[in-house]
Amino acid sequence: MEIEIQLTDQPIAEKYLPPPQLGAVGAWLEFRGVVRGEENGRTIRALEYEAYPEMAGREIRRLLQDISARHPCRAAKVIHRVGVIPAGETAIYVGVASPHRGEAIELLAEFMDRLKQDVPVWKRRALPTNIVGDDVRSLTLSAKKPETPHVVSYKSLDEARAAIRSRCPPLPAVRAPLAEALGRVLRETVCAPEDLPPVDRSMRDGYAIRADDASKTFSVVDTIHAADWKPRQLKTGEAVRVATGSALPCEGLRVVMQEHVERDGDKLHVARRENSTNVRLRGEEVRQGQPLVSAGTKLNAGALAILATVGNANPPVSPRLRILHFTTGDEIVTPDQTPKPGQIRDSNSILIRSLLQNFPCDVEQGHLPEDFEAAKSEVANRKSQIENADVLLVSGGASVGETDFTRALLEQLGFGIVFSQVSVRPGRPLIFGVNGGASVPVPHCGIGSLAPPNKVRVAFGLPGNPLAHFVCFHFAVAAALAGLTGGEPPEFLRGQLAEKLDDKPCPRETLWPARWEWRVGQTFLSASSGDFPVACADNANTGQECPANQQTGMSALHLLAWASSGDITCMAAANALVRVPANCAGLDNGAKVDFLPVAAMLGGG
Amino acid sequence: MRVLFFAQLKDATGCNAVELAAASPLNTAQLWTELVQRFPALAAHRPNVRLARNWEYAAPDAIFADNDEVALLPPVSGG
Repeated sequence: MEIEIQLTDQPIAEKYLPPPQLGAVGAWLEFRGVVRGEENGRTIRALEYEAYPEMAGREIRRLLQDISARHPCRAAKVIHRVGVIPAGETAIYVGVASPHRGEAIELLAEFMDRLKQDVPVWKRRALPTNIVGDDVRSLTLSAKKPETPHVVSYKSLDEARAAIRSRCPPLPAVRAPLAEALGRVLRETVCAPEDLPPVDRSMRDGYAIRADDASKTFSVVDTIHAADWKPRQLKTGEAVRVATGSALPCEGLRVVMQEHVERDGDKLHVARRENSTNVRLRGEEVRQGQPLVSAGTKLNAGALAILATVGNANPPVSPRLRILHFTTGDEIVTPDQTPKPGQIRDSNSILIRSLLQNFPCDVEQGHLPEDFEAAKSEVANRKSQIENADVLLVSGGASVGETDFTRALLEQLGFGIVFSQVSVRPGRPLIFGVNGGASVPVPHCGIGSLAPPNKVRVAFGLPGNPLAHFVCFHFAVAAALAGLTGGEPPEFLRGQLAEKLDDKPCPRETLWPARWEWRVGQTFLSASSGDFPVACADNANTGQECPANQQTGMSALHLLAWASSGDITCMAAANALVRVPANCAGLDNGAKVDFLPVAAMLGGG
Repeated sequence: MRVLFFAQLKDATGCNAVELAAASPLNTAQLWTELVQRFPALAAHRPNVRLARNWEYAAPDAIFADNDEVALLPPVSGG
């Protein structure tokens, strides 16, 4: 039995094809459980689901194996969505394949019953609006308050990334012409509208004849140019003149190369036939209905060329993100100015603007004065600009006082603070807030403003130092932008240190700026003394290593020197951030580590 | 051992997980004693909570050792 199980915080696709090559299968049965929009007479906009993922996957597999002993099952696909799921959207998808329909129906019914008893997934809370944040826990429909106040402000790196992902649902898709779609995320899977090629085509200049025609002499009955479409059935002894790429007049033909024939008027004598039929068969490359580019794909040049090929000239894609970035602090002067003692030039603005180039977006930048009242009035002047932004970034100073300034400002703007500290070095005082977008803040329990549906805005307060900016952008802001576009955030990959790391133990995880390069197996092995396996980029999440026969090289990571979160010299060379565990006193040369590729590696596509 | 809390148990304890340093392996009753001592609010949930050990439901006579991942699972409601 083939089993596929997924837990995802992304929307479940609207269509899945049955698994191919099912053999003795007569039934492919699908079920979707959707979030009800009303419960006991109350409107529900969304439900938040939570799972114990490591165990949920195992339980689903165990259930399927157990039930299939009684109701034969050849294949099963189970996808459970977690996080916030809007009403009407699919929470669970199940597809099962059985030899007969009765078996599939009983299998599915029993599976769903037992899933609801045994698989560790919970409906957490019903949300009357789509605002979500740890600070809005009391928005559950049940009036019962949690027994203890839940204060989450200090998050681990993984928790912070998960919190961001669950609060950055994809923005509504827009249609964009292909010329404006580069780098955007495709939002609906594009399937082949017809076979490719749509008809049998000649691969040679020559003469098409019936494949079963053993004649030596033929009459040439027609000529087909590359752009012609002249369907006709060929009879034995008939040939048609064709060019490379010509649509053949019917199926079941072969093409004899023009070099292998002698022609005399309408008569043709075939001197030689190759083994190849010289025909590119209909559907040889792609079958009608086959997915070509999946939803969630960041469109690159090749994907756009495919869309053009199948005539999808205005695909549904992520909108251009609208991003508003403020610097703060009176010590900042522009790069063309000479700073007075105590002042510094603003490097964060160009840093942020440049990093954002990896995402199709429109960036506006401004500056807020250090005085809180003055900052508030500046913000009030820019009210519509702020409300129109999908993402608000505020570069603050690194000190506690300045962090408070950013936090208070974001709360003033109606953002609910999800976390304000992350256990990461550099970049601990990172603030993340979510706002539904309405103008009236609800002034109790630290709850943000209530929002009209379908408009979630997010804000980050970034620690002021450039290196902290650089790090926070890659592990946090990029994850938010990926979520809003409906794409996948950059994930940690597996690599090896190209040198030893000596460090004082730090209670936080460190994201260490590094220079990544690909080393082919033998070169890297000889370049270091250790006897360690050489692997391709393993998947850091699953811990899976590539099979031995695919082990062709390894990410070699050179650690760059940095002293403090204000250290800017290493940024120009950094193309990776190496994840050094908390309380780690050092790592050996060749140690396997996780690393996050950074913008320089991601390129524009 | 690491003990994970899910769903409403997060609200009851105020955290997602706790590290329990047990001198010797614990049986189910001893584990609950430790947990309720630390989080009195858990006592009310005990009748409805199932225990998991290393990603599988734990039998009533299970023993929880130092390097186990233990999870407290309130009634599930997936699908």
